Amino acid sequence: MNAGGATAVDQVVFWVLAVLTTFFAGFTITRRNPVTAVMSLVATFFCLAGIYASLSAHFLAVIQVLVYAGAIMVLFIFVIMILNREEVAPFSIRPLRVLGVLGGVYLLTKLVDVVGVGLPEAAPGVTPDGFGTVAAIGEVLFRDFLFPFEAISVLLLVAIVGGVVVSRSHQKEVAAVEAADYRHQIEELAHHDYPGEPEAPTPGHH
Amino acid sequence: MPTTYYIVLSFVLFLIGTAGVLVRRNALIALMGIELQLNGGNLAMLAFSRELGDLKGHVFAFFIIALAAAEAAVGLAILVALFRGRQTVNLDEATLLKR
Amino acid sequence: MTFNLRLIPLLPFLGAAILMLFGRKWKRDTVLLVAAGAIAGSCLVAVDAFFTALPAAASKGGLHDVVGTWMAAGSLKIDLALRLDALSGLLCLIITFIGFLIHIYSSGYMEHDPDYPRFFAYLNLFCGAMLVLVLGDSLPVMFIGWEGVGLCSYLLIGFWYSSSANADAGKKAFITNRIGDLGFLIGMFLLYQFTGSLNIPEITAAASGGGALMQTLFPGTIFAAPVAFWAALFLFIGATGKSAQIPLYVWLPDAMAGPTPVSALIHAATMVTAGVYMVARMHALYLLTPGAMAIVACVGALTALFAAIIGFAQNDFKKVLAYSTISQLGFMFAGVGTANFGAGVFHLFTHAFFKAGLFLCAGSVMHAMGGSGDITIMGGLRKKLPFTHGVFLVCWLAICGVPFFSGFFSKDSIISGAFGTEIFGEGLLWVGKAVGVVLMLAALGTAFYMSRLYFLVFTGSETRASDEIKHHIHESPGAMVGPLVVLAVGAALGGFIGLPGGLLDHPEWNLLADRLAPVLGPEMEVSRSIELGFMVASVVLALGGIGLAYLFYGGGYREPSRKFAAAAPRFVRLVQDKFRIDELYGLLIIRPIKRLAKGVFFVVDRILIDKILVEGSGAIVGVLARMARAVQGGDVQRYMAVFAIGAAGIVYLATRPSVPDVLKVTVSGLSVDVDARRGSKPASRVQDYSFDFDDDGKPEVTGAAPAAHHAYPRAGTYTVRVQVKDPNWGTSTSLKQKVEVR
Repeated sequence: MNAGGATAVDQVVFWVLAVLTTFFAGFTITRRNPVTAVMSLVATFFCLAGIYASLSAHFLAVIQVLVYAGAIMVLFIFVIMILNREEVAPFSIRPLRVLGVLGGVYLLTKLVDVVGVGLPEAAPGVTPDGFGTVAAIGEVLFRDFLFPFEAISVLLLVAIVGGVVVSRSHQKEVAAVEAADYRHQIEELAHHDYPGEPEAPTPGHH
Repeated sequence: MPTTYYIVLSFVLFLIGTAGVLVRRNALIALMGIELQLNGGNLAMLAFSRELGDLKGHVFAFFIIALAAAEAAVGLAILVALFRGRQTVNLDEATLLKR
Repeated sequence: MTFNLRLIPLLPFLGAAILMLFGRKWKRDTVLLVAAGAIAGSCLVAVDAFFTALPAAASKGGLHDVVGTWMAAGSLKIDLALRLDALSGLLCLIITFIGFLIHIYSSGYMEHDPDYPRFFAYLNLFCGAMLVLVLGDSLPVMFIGWEGVGLCSYLLIGFWYSSSANADAGKKAFITNRIGDLGFLIGMFLLYQFTGSLNIPEITAAASGGGALMQTLFPGTIFAAPVAFWAALFLFIGATGKSAQIPLYVWLPDAMAGPTPVSALIHAATMVTAGVYMVARMHALYLLTPGAMAIVACVGALTALFAAIIGFAQNDFKKVLAYSTISQLGFMFAGVGTANFGAGVFHLFTHAFFKAGLFLCAGSVMHAMGGSGDITIMGGLRKKLPFTHGVFLVCWLAICGVPFFSGFFSKDSIISGAFGTEIFGEGLLWVGKAVGVVLMLAALGTAFYMSRLYFLVFTGSETRASDEIKHHIHESPGAMVGPLVVLAVGAALGGFIGLPGGLLDHPEWNLLADRLAPVLGPEMEVSRSIELGFMVASVVLALGGIGLAYLFYGGGYREPSRKFAAAAPRFVRLVQDKFRIDELYGLLIIRPIKRLAKGVFFVVDRILIDKILVEGSGAIVGVLARMARAVQGGDVQRYMAVFAIGAAGIVYLATRPSVPDVLKVTVSGLSVDVDARRGSKPASRVQDYSFDFDDDGKPEVTGAAPAAHHAYPRAGTYTVRVQVKDPNWGTSTSLKQKVEVR
């Protein structure tokens, strides 16, 4: 197979990584055990980091490993440790959702169509020296995108504060949610034919 | 490798993520699906960036990773709160939006 | 000449409105003051108009008052206009004067009724509507009054609505009248179509010309007759409903369920004469068509005799009077039907007095008898109710046609007019004579049943009622007796306004004919010998009827009456049952209609409306709601799925090639031009077109141009297929169309 001027090594690397990425991604969403899922997700991210590297995005490849495979995955695993529960029926396959997935497939094939038309068949030529290195990205980041960069750091700060606030144990709110739930249940009961109060047990009768 | 291949791969990744979000009951796995979708997007960014020889794509990918980190932090925090409140992370039971 | 005629109907209308709005809280005296004041005011205006303003304008079409344009559409323009000439003026005087008397009488009769204000409001409303009816210058305005009096009649018959018999009687009157009103409407439409106007003077003018109204309608069929005949006939059907003639008379006896003053005013003196008035008003139209006249006369005469016969055996005071009214209305129709319009109107006038008097006497008697109208338990009331007896005596003599009482003159002029009429030509000559003979028999019958009533109620030494009732009998209060006396004077002397002047060599003594001449044409000339002969004959008939009744009923039920009843029990029974006409109608008309209604109810209401429309739309909403609810489950994943589906749908629609719904194909000779552009603007998208003109899979023209030209080698029918591709989106569509080349 000829992939438009790419070297054989390039091709082999791409195909191997692409197949692995797809495989692990599929594995991630089909595992019943969340720990397995999260591990295959880590594998997906590693493979992706390889693909990033093959795209000359060295800095991003490193970031991918550090942030995703490192930080985010640790977070996931902590949470799994807190709420690890086996699921009886992990999949909720309903016609509407399947239709939704099919809709997504259709959308993406359309995108492939339109993107494919604009792209050349061949791989782009040699990338300039230093493309994708820390120095090059840093120059763009701090010259052209200084404000978004600072804004992102604020976003991260807000996310941290938000995470703390949301997951904090607050008894009052929980009580309020429970009360609302209880009311809801009573309403639902009122709409059914409720048999009424159970009769008080008669003395001497078992 | 021609850019098209990367694009197709990124779409496949995105689709797998979408399917995960749509059909899994476990909120954790659904969140992982969202991470897959974001990574699909990132891959496309980087592929186009190389195609055009423009580093802006890298910058955006960087931002997306930061955003994904924030999203994961808040999303997981919400899951913890949900679990505290109702002892479950089953999305089929979390239908408070209809009230 | 204009005159403020609108005041005449406006005053009673105002009275009615005020009483309906505020009457409930007022004292009875205030209510009476407003009601009687309104009608008295209206009466004064009418008197002023008739005696002061009219003489000067009589020869110029009378007084005229245009309130405004009612409706204008195309060539149709109808003014809300009133006209008072001798004919409508006379009716106005009768309505307002007798109406006023009956208001006064009612104040006594209805004294203890809790719905006193409502009664007077309706009474005022009736007077206003009746005045609009007679004053209306065009048929539609007349029709307002026509329907208005029908409504008031309905409201007043069912005045004591808590008894369902009364409410049913009201409905019967209303529905029977509707049948007639349909005829009236059709008549109106015919006249409008062929004369282009609904204005009575204009129709009269058109009728004098003849022309348009003499066109033959339905030529070649057995219905072939001039327009005038059909218009006159349909208008007369309206009249038979309102004026209780065969075949629509059945409602009037039942209408006696209303309060007695109502029977006197509406169902004896005024409303029921509306049909006679209408025929007289449209006399120009009727004169065009002797056939219609013959029908009017025959129906009138037959009704007169038929109702009189039914009257022989009725035992309810008011029922006897009701049939008497039907019979007398028959006389009036026979009069106008033989072109004796003046005589018909004259009888209308005298009848208004004596019949109102008789009804009010009936009310007075029933008042005394504790509400019962059963004449079999009366008798000997002469001494106990002296005033009522005196009034009844006068009115009885008047209706029987005893000389010099009012009925004598008017009835005689109708009968002699029927014999002397010259309106009927070839083939219809018998009508006048036959009508005359039937009327003479009816006159004999009238004398008999009225005398029977008189003898059974007032003569004899003993009242046949229970002691409790007997103890209670008393003369009515002054408010009731006063109007009675006034009506008695009218009944006794009213005939003198229509003296047969010709007989006495002083034609000008006939005041009525003199007055009516500009409207209805000169009084018919009847030779002195005929007139005198019939005068003698009718006196003989009247006295004969009275004598016969005396033999049967003088001083109570006598031997001959019992013998007769025993000799022909089935006949007596049949007459008592009013020849079972109601039952016949029930069998022939009402029952089939009820069945039809039930069927329609089942199919249309139960199935179409209830099941399909109501429950069906409910079910559709339910299904839609269930679908909408399915999407709104609070389930984020489902929302996302819907979002993905929606996005896919939008992309699908947006990326299809832009093509027209139908190909634009222009054929000229063997060559065709095909245009596949959507709309007239050039498409901004780049699309590939391939035109395959013979649908063989090998396109003849390809490229980015949306239109192509092709010449076929030979004539025939081809299929043109156009394939459109969007290279950017990778989508394609094809369109097909058949082309015929010659």
